Amino acid sequence: MQTELTSQGSSTDILAIANLPVLWVLAIGVFAAIIVQSLVYMKAAKKAGPAADISDAELKVSFRAGAIAAIGPSLAVVLVSIALLTLFGTPAVLVRIGLVGSAATESASASLAAGTMGAVLGDASYTQAVFVVAFMAMSLSGAGWMLATLILTPILRRGDSKLRKVNPALMAIVPAAALIGAFASLGIAELGKTPVHVLAVIVSAVTMGTCILLANRTSATWLREWGLGISIMVGLTAAYFAHISGMAPAA
Amino acid sequence: MSSTDTARSASASLREFDRTTSRWGQATMGAALLLSVAAPLYLVLTQDLGITSGMIWTAYLAVAAAFFVLWFVEPITYFPVLGPAGMYQAFMIGNIANKLLPSALVAQAAIGAKPGTKRGEFSALMAICGAAMVHVLSMLFFVGVLGTWLVSIVPTDIVDVARLYIFPAIIGGVLVQLVATLKQPRVTVIAVVVAVLVLFVLVPAVPALAKPATGIVVLITAVLAWFLRSRKTHATPTPLVN
Repeated sequence: MQTELTSQGSSTDILAIANLPVLWVLAIGVFAAIIVQSLVYMKAAKKAGPAADISDAELKVSFRAGAIAAIGPSLAVVLVSIALLTLFGTPAVLVRIGLVGSAATESASASLAAGTMGAVLGDASYTQAVFVVAFMAMSLSGAGWMLATLILTPILRRGDSKLRKVNPALMAIVPAAALIGAFASLGIAELGKTPVHVLAVIVSAVTMGTCILLANRTSATWLREWGLGISIMVGLTAAYFAHISGMAPAA
Repeated sequence: MSSTDTARSASASLREFDRTTSRWGQATMGAALLLSVAAPLYLVLTQDLGITSGMIWTAYLAVAAAFFVLWFVEPITYFPVLGPAGMYQAFMIGNIANKLLPSALVAQAAIGAKPGTKRGEFSALMAICGAAMVHVLSMLFFVGVLGTWLVSIVPTDIVDVARLYIFPAIIGGVLVQLVATLKQPRVTVIAVVVAVLVLFVLVPAVPALAKPATGIVVLITAVLAWFLRSRKTHATPTPLVN
């Protein structure tokens, strides 16, 4: 399949196309949609406030409480996003990791998509064409969540009797199985790559385990939201030293 | 005004609120959906990369096989907590479990509103608006401006190595985090065994299955987890990834 690609498609200079101005405009458009939505919602809430037995002051307190509670988690997402900038470029990271999806689902989608083209994220096989196919697959997958929301919300609102009656055991086990199945498969697939990949997976996993243990044992609950950012940084640092010390096979 | 008039005007004003938030919620989410798909589509159509629609469909199917269950399960799971208006916010802003829900709970506690009441719904909605503003601004400034600049000054050999190992560095942490929050040891063991068998036994034997491998693992894990579930303990709903 690689032979069908053009010479530009085989270039590994991802950022040359990932940071094109049009992509910035589209990304900022998504941010604008969120801002417009919030403004409309706040106005509507203020107007209907008395009917919902909530005062203007209480609406303000709620807004501020939500904003303050979001600072830590938002900065944690910032850290993860910056680590992904070199892989996807700024506009894609802003929309896919920062908004709509999460680092976990989006990088998983990208890895799966790259795999179908016989490529590995970030190495010499990660060409412009692979990046674009991965970006397309992530965006379509994210669209799956949004479409489901657009379709299901009116149905759930109308009475949701059937959907709510879905067996609770089914709703507990199947999503958990789907999640762990997907990420276990992706994690174990990394173990089939170079020794440095294996090291990165293990160091990141151990770091996360340590963060969770510490968060549970001490009062450092902030470790829960920063855990992923810290694990990525420690995992990358370990991989960097292993890589420069020659653990990776010569490319 | 008599009390029945007040009640009537209150329910009319709540109906109007529902109408406004649904209409604008759907419109803004629809716009975000189109804009977010337009970005990669623009690259496919304008760059001469030699990408065929077959490549896109193959990649999409591999991703869909891994995630389609979650597309439907997450909205159904979050609906009772978020309410209709909040649904259109949450699935556009993302990071629901780790950011939006905690924000909503903190706000409800701050004004003493119970979840499930109108007061609670309005409080959660305002909290999500507040969280959205903080998030949008911090993403635009710290990632959009500072991050882009940071990447431009970091030496290229570090950038290259980061790019090469970022995925394994994410997946290890994510997996442990999932296993720790879901607390489903039985499902975890099933998933790991199935993944090892599929990836290291089935795929080497039948190379054609390499592309849908993750989808196959998800499917077999879900079916086995269901039939091998413990029938004693009462199951609690699953917190999710987005």
